Formats: sequence, C-alpha cells, structure tokens
Amino acid sequence: MSFVESDERKALRAAVFELATGYGHQYIARKARAGEHADELWAEAGKLGYLGVNLPEQYGGGGGGMAELATVLEELGAGGCPLLMMVVSPAICGTIINRFGTEEQRSRWLPGLADASTIMAFAITEPDAGSNSHRITTTARRDGDDWVLSGQKVFISGVDWADAVLVVSRTADAKTGKLKPALFIVPTDVPGFEYRPIEMDLVSVDRQFQVFLDEVRLPAEALVGSEDAALAQLFAGLNPERIMASAFALGIARYALDKAVTYANQRQVWGTAIGAHQGVSHPLAQLKIEIELAKLMTQKAAYLYDMGDDFGAGEAANMAKYAAAEASARTVDQAVQVHGGNGLASEYGLGTLIAASRVGRIAPVSREMILNFVAQNSLGLPKSY
Amino acid sequence: MTNIVVLVKQVPDTYSERKLAAGDNTLDREAADAVLDEINERAIEEALVIKEANEGEVTVVCVGPDRANDAIRKALSMGADKAVHVSDEALHGADILQTSKVLAKAVGTVEGVDLIIAGNEASDGRGGAVPAVLAELLGLPQLTHARKVTVEGGTVKVERETADEGITHLEASLPALISVNEKINEPRYPSFKGIMAAKKKPVEKLTAADLGLDGEVGLANAASTVLESAPKPPREAGQRVDDEGDGGVKVAEYLASQKLI
Repeated sequence: MSFVESDERKALRAAVFELATGYGHQYIARKARAGEHADELWAEAGKLGYLGVNLPEQYGGGGGGMAELATVLEELGAGGCPLLMMVVSPAICGTIINRFGTEEQRSRWLPGLADASTIMAFAITEPDAGSNSHRITTTARRDGDDWVLSGQKVFISGVDWADAVLVVSRTADAKTGKLKPALFIVPTDVPGFEYRPIEMDLVSVDRQFQVFLDEVRLPAEALVGSEDAALAQLFAGLNPERIMASAFALGIARYALDKAVTYANQRQVWGTAIGAHQGVSHPLAQLKIEIELAKLMTQKAAYLYDMGDDFGAGEAANMAKYAAAEASARTVDQAVQVHGGNGLASEYGLGTLIAASRVGRIAPVSREMILNFVAQNSLGLPKSY
Repeated sequence: MTNIVVLVKQVPDTYSERKLAAGDNTLDREAADAVLDEINERAIEEALVIKEANEGEVTVVCVGPDRANDAIRKALSMGADKAVHVSDEALHGADILQTSKVLAKAVGTVEGVDLIIAGNEASDGRGGAVPAVLAELLGLPQLTHARKVTVEGGTVKVERETADEGITHLEASLPALISVNEKINEPRYPSFKGIMAAKKKPVEKLTAADLGLDGEVGLANAASTVLESAPKPPREAGQRVDDEGDGGVKVAEYLASQKLI
C-alpha cells in the first residue's frame, strides 16, 4: 500500500467527482423529495463502469477491488450525490456471488451488477435480530428440489428499486437439526414476496422497507454457493459493507466540509470573512484532520481486503467505519453551524444531510457494537453479553 | 475509415486565479491548477463520435510542458488511441505563429491524417487563430467555429456559427481542418476501462529539434510578446433603478439601450 495514489486512481477520483458535481446535490434532494430514485445518475455511472469496478472483467466489471469501489462512492458523495445502493448491490451482493456463487449464478447476475443495470438488495436485519445475526429466524426448508422461505426482514434498503434481494436465512442441518445460515437470491417479483415502506425522516433516494416472505418457493439454484459455507460467505460480505459505509460517510463529510469552507470564506461579518475567526476555523481544521484520518483507515481496510486478508481487514474496516461515521456526523453538524440559519435553508443543501450523516453511527453496525468489537478483539477485554 | 488528429492544450483552470509571470509576462503555469481545456474535451468527443461511426484512429497532438501529460492522459482515457507530445523548454514563450508551426510539424509525423479537429479558441490565450494558421501552413481547407459536423465518405460538412455572421453551411473534401465551438456536443466522462487503458496507450515525446525547429522558437524569436499587463479593474457599481410605478418601463428602456431587446 502506498500513501501516494496511482495516476489511474486519481483519474478515477476526478472523473467520478466531475460526474457527481454535474448532477449536484440538488438533483439528489429533488429526487428524494419527489419519492424517486437517482435513476439517471445510477444508469450513467453504471454505463461508465464506475459502479462495477470491483467485479471481474470476465463478467463485465472493471477488474479492480474494494479500494476502487470505495473511491467511487466517496467521490460521488463528495460531489453531493451519495448512492447508498452501491454499498449493497456491487459491494455486498456482488462480492458474495463472485466469491461463493456457482458459475451459473455468476453468469446470471454479475454482468448486470457490473454495469448496474441490475440492482440487488441485501436482507439480513430482522425485528428481533439486529446486531445479533445468530438470532435470525427467516427459515428455508427443502421441498423436493425447491426451497421454501418464510420470515420477516426490516430496514432493508432499496427493495422497490431492486430486481432481487439476497436474503440471509437459516436452514435446518440435516444431521443435528440445528439451524445454520444460508443465503438465497430472491427475485422481487416471486409469489409470496412482499414489501412495505418504512416512513423515515431521511432525505434519501434509497428508501427503507419491511419485507415479508410467506412460503416463497425458490428453485434449488437460488441458494448461493454451498449450504455449509454460509457463515464464511456472510462474513465475506460484511467487510465490503463496512468499507463502503466508511466511503459513504467520508463522501458526505467532504461535501459538507467543502460547503462550510466555501461559506466561511465568502460570508463577511464586520468586514471580515467569518473563516478568519478561530471559533469558525479551528473546528473546520479539526474536522479536516478527522476526515483525512478516517480516509486513511478506509484505504487500509480496502487494501487488506483486496489482498485477501479478511481477518486483518475486519479490524481496520470496523475502525474505519467508526471514524468515518463520527467525521460525517460531526462535519455536517459543524457545517450547518457555520452557515447559521442558512444551514437549514433548502437552498444550501445541508439540512438534507443531517439525518443521513447520522446513519453511519447506526448502520450497518452501531458505533457501540464496533467499540465492543475493538474492546474484545483488539484489546482482549472481557465480553459483556 | 477516418484518421483524426485532435489538438489539445493544457490550460490553467478557469476556476482558479490566472496570472502572467512577473519576469517575462508569459503564462504563470505554476499559479493555477492545470486542466485539459474544456473546448478540447468537446473536440475529442466529436472525434470519437466520428470514429465510432466511420472507424479509424484518433491521435491527440499537444504542445506544452511535461505536466501537459495529464491533459493527454485524460484525452486518452476518454478514448483517443495515441498521442504526440511536443515538450521542450525552448518553446517557452512561443507565440501563435510558432505554436502553429510546431503543431504543423507534429501533425506531419502522424500518417494518413484525414481530419484535424481543434477547439475554436483556448480558454487562456483566447487568440483563436491557431486553427486557421495551422490550416494555412498545411494547405488544408479550414472549417472553423463548427457547431455541427458531419463526415460522409470523403467530405466533411459543417454548420459554422459566429456571433457576427450567424450560421453558414460549409463543405470541404478531406483532408481538412475544423474547429469546434462549445455548442458542438457534451463531452463524455472517461469510463473506468478508459482510465485503466490510458496508461498503456503510446505517447510519442518530441522536442523542437526532433521537428527541425531548433533555434527558431521560443520567446526570443516570437513575433509577438506581451510587454505589460494590468489586472482587470474591479467591477463598477451597476445602474440603480428605483421603482416608482414605472420600474418595468425603465428596465425595458435600459435593455433596449443596450440592444438586448
């Protein structure tokens, strides 16, 4: 890993940032308020290969890694257009299908995920199984060659936009009868699959859903990879999720900091730009430092992941997600403060991000669960639960 | 099959403060971020559209210091096939005539050129003369200020648009030179594959001596030099109209006096 990015990485950053600023945050805000998706931006970025940079070239992807994909998401956010479904569709689902899917599943799904013409959501959280994924109750049972899925999911992003959902469920072990996880690709138009929006106070083009699976019948090939390797598969998808959640938060933080700095340079009070006052400049300087540190840890996590070090990437990805989420929540908050009343005026495009900037502290894993992870795994402290 | 040369220039970003160097009144390249001139992105886009329809090869030709390589790389990432980069300290301070001579020689190193596409003017110098001078030097028909270009067989048709003359329809046999204005198209963004492929594309580096122009170029031999410059004056306060029931009329009168309505 080098601290100096390659010319290609810099060119990718520049190109994606330019694309995002061409659309602008007002595009996202307008779409979100109208209850629409960011179809145009998603399609254009997909066609340019930006949304599938991590997937193999033989399936139409860019042949890069999580480092490149995180770069794309960060720059989209920095340009005012964070696309949450990037965390899910190419990063989690693309990774799991590429690493563990059968050749048929790869050929069927990866080309669409690579050019983003196919969107896949990811369903793990349940009303009684949030952080504790061992308590998942969505169950798949065998019926002849088919699988029949039943259960309920909550806080699933972008189901209305998705062609299919990668559903985490459990199957009964043939020998012991104990339940173990299994992943199924469920097209959103199959009988028994229903979803209902959850009213959220988020201004986002990606909405949240409750999902109901009522005796959903799936062919044998809907099971991803091996019935027995599902836990490893599941965890393989979680590092990319955290790395991408970091990039999502970093993009928002950079966008907000840029807004704050621009305003602090322009806004004159008593004949001086407000940015000249240390009460304004020091918090922004602190945030610049926090953003850069979070970005470094995100890059480290992506590097370790791309090198195949799932275990090493786990610690770095958790720390990166913690740091990036803190930076994004604090930066948006401070950017609003710098703007005064304008910080909440729609014209300035910051109020829309207040709730979004808090998401990183909660999802995909809460700040508290990350602190638990670090306390137990990095420090060797005893577990409280 | 249409083989196309696109002329590209690296310029100071129009969003940053642009200055002349204190010593010799040439462009202070260090003072601002350097970018591929936007009008050149449109020229490249047009070349790529023509190539996609007719096949052929797009070669980028650039005169500029070493760091202009970034601008060339961007052109290649958009989809151009190869590049010729003339970079030489001796070219420092070259004027329009010298630059055009260098470009003529550089274009001469590319085989079988059917069409040369330039932007109508660079956003830094804004002389807007290079395309015409280059066409003269190469003995090619010039179709400048194009807002629409069509290549069919051995001919090129252009809708030429200028503020003074309106729209003119031009046609010429290939080979020819065209310059494009900002209405010509919307340039594409480089794709991820384009970015990754750009590094592997050939860039031929040439000096003034390689082109047989040693000793003829640079500030000392320039036909025109900048003697002095002054920053643009601060904006003057506008004319204020108080509305006493006749505001609309006064605004209309003002606009009419400026020939805007």
